[in-house]
Amino acid sequence: MNIYQITFWILSLFTLAFAIGVIMSRNPINSVLFLILTFFCISGHYVLMNAQFLAIVNIIVYAGAIMVLFLFVIMLMNLNSDTEPQKNFLVQFAGVVSGGALLLIMVAAIKSSLTGLEGKNIDLINSTDIGLIKNLGTVLFTTYVFPFEIASVLFLSAMVGAVVLGKKDSALKTAE
Amino acid sequence: MNAIVLSGIWGVVMMFAGLFLKSSKQIQWTALLGIIALLVVSILDYQAHSVQAQTYFGMMTIDVYTSWFSILITACCAMYLLIFHKDIAAVGKNEAEYFALIFFVMCGVYLLASYSNLLILFLGIEILSIPQYILAGSDKENIKSNEASLKYFLMGAFSTGLLLMGMTLIYGATGSFDITSEKFVGQFEQLSSMSSLSFVGILLLLISFGFKVSAAPLHLWTPDVYDGSPTAFTPFMATIVKVSVFVAFIRLFHFSFGNVSDAWQIAIASMIVLTLIIGNVTAVYQQSLKRMMAYSSIAQAGFMLFSIFAVNSTLAYKGILLYSVVYSLASIGVFAVIIKMKDYTYDGFNGLAKKQPVLAFTATVCLLSLVGIPLTGGFFAKYFVLSAVVEQGKYIWIVVFAVLMAAISAYYYFRVIRSMYFKTGEAAMHTEPTTWDKTLLILNAMIILLLGVLPSLVFG
Repeated sequence: MNIYQITFWILSLFTLAFAIGVIMSRNPINSVLFLILTFFCISGHYVLMNAQFLAIVNIIVYAGAIMVLFLFVIMLMNLNSDTEPQKNFLVQFAGVVSGGALLLIMVAAIKSSLTGLEGKNIDLINSTDIGLIKNLGTVLFTTYVFPFEIASVLFLSAMVGAVVLGKKDSALKTAE
Repeated sequence: MNAIVLSGIWGVVMMFAGLFLKSSKQIQWTALLGIIALLVVSILDYQAHSVQAQTYFGMMTIDVYTSWFSILITACCAMYLLIFHKDIAAVGKNEAEYFALIFFVMCGVYLLASYSNLLILFLGIEILSIPQYILAGSDKENIKSNEASLKYFLMGAFSTGLLLMGMTLIYGATGSFDITSEKFVGQFEQLSSMSSLSFVGILLLLISFGFKVSAAPLHLWTPDVYDGSPTAFTPFMATIVKVSVFVAFIRLFHFSFGNVSDAWQIAIASMIVLTLIIGNVTAVYQQSLKRMMAYSSIAQAGFMLFSIFAVNSTLAYKGILLYSVVYSLASIGVFAVIIKMKDYTYDGFNGLAKKQPVLAFTATVCLLSLVGIPLTGGFFAKYFVLSAVVEQGKYIWIVVFAVLMAAISAYYYFRVIRSMYFKTGEAAMHTEPTTWDKTLLILNAMIILLLGVLPSLVFG
């Protein structure tokens, strides 16, 4: 076991532990905090795969911006155990069964697609520098320039929508 | 390709129109000008690509089939805007933005018709969906509209997650997003050599597409969203958006996954059976016509799924083209009458034939087409998708089942006709139809009747 493998296992262990913490904690605030920790651990994995840019973006966007938003919303909603809706046992049971079936299929698919790879040493570490920002930028503005431009339509429509939904109709009426 | 650019640009033009044009009429005219320009551009695109297919940036492949579909769907959208432009402007204060969002959706429609890369498929589906979440909630004072928007957004976001997961697994198995690349084609050449990752990937894509076209058992959002949304936007969601997702669906599952159809055909078959039975039987029990049309759109989606089911059949492509046009025009025609009414229940339509004979007549033609009565376009649409399955020779019993279900659908469609013609009542109008409205509705009905005689007109 070299240092990469040790780091990988430790990070994976922490990721799983925090992820379980997200769904197990009763208090939603704790859940969000656990989620932030999970994102940090996943960023660690990205660094291990030599994708520093992705790691930093993951921390800034997910652990930073989105999670702060989450915390705000949860604090505004003032959730506690009283407001928790009563769930039907049958619905819960169906959810567990279907979710479990999906998990089983995914795990089985990944397991069976690994069968041909035994003995082959997949060296992800340092084998590629595709995750560096220079290469990412080059690819983004050459091969993927069309999706990059088209994404602007998507963001524009989302922005228009946010304004349409956020603007007060009545305020507009009085201004006229 | 030019249609994609123009639809994006015209969305921006509409935003500026909202800023600079003060009168609502001018904004509506700008939108109508835009859709006519889009129609012209898509016809020019068709002429440019009619000889050979062209690939752009390795991301989109535009050939005769896709550019012809673009013309048809733009024509349907033009019909929708011509009939509904006043009602769209009447929904709220931000009329220019509603039109802008519709043009952005059209951009997504063109992307979905011509993608050859899974990335573009994802972007197309998102450009299609996000404006719809907003249009569904544009009637802000109405709590049902808010519910529709939130419900659609949450469930749509979840189904997008499944779509991405499916794409990721397929990327993991093939190493490529490009559906024309050797790696991608090689992976899906035969079932025995297919990786189990792609198997699960196909399944997840199927679920996500099934959600977008509201196939059972993923249809639960549809009645609430179509019923809660402003009536001006429901026909747009139920027709133009839905059929364009079908074309994206058929593109991926026939061209890429056609050789491994044994992996997913049984799933589609069960989807068809569930969709037909749930859509048709639940529609029988509806009291509101708008909600009945929501269930009817689920049932019609069940018929359109047949074209996905019949792999490697030229009849299936013809069928989906004809079905798209006929179903869109017929639904637009019915909704154009619904939106004029004050009361959306069946009783609200009592005696409409005496009061507004033109509206009653056009609605009758559209409803007959939705049932699939001969001499209307709906007959040939159903005929082509069903005979595609017969030609393929597998699961013939579903065809028999579908014909039975079409007979059930006759009950709730004829109930509207009975209310309009054979019952006496007030039929209170919300807005009186103008001569212009009536002309358009008659034109719409004429096209449906024409396609019932000459269905080959839409095959290009």
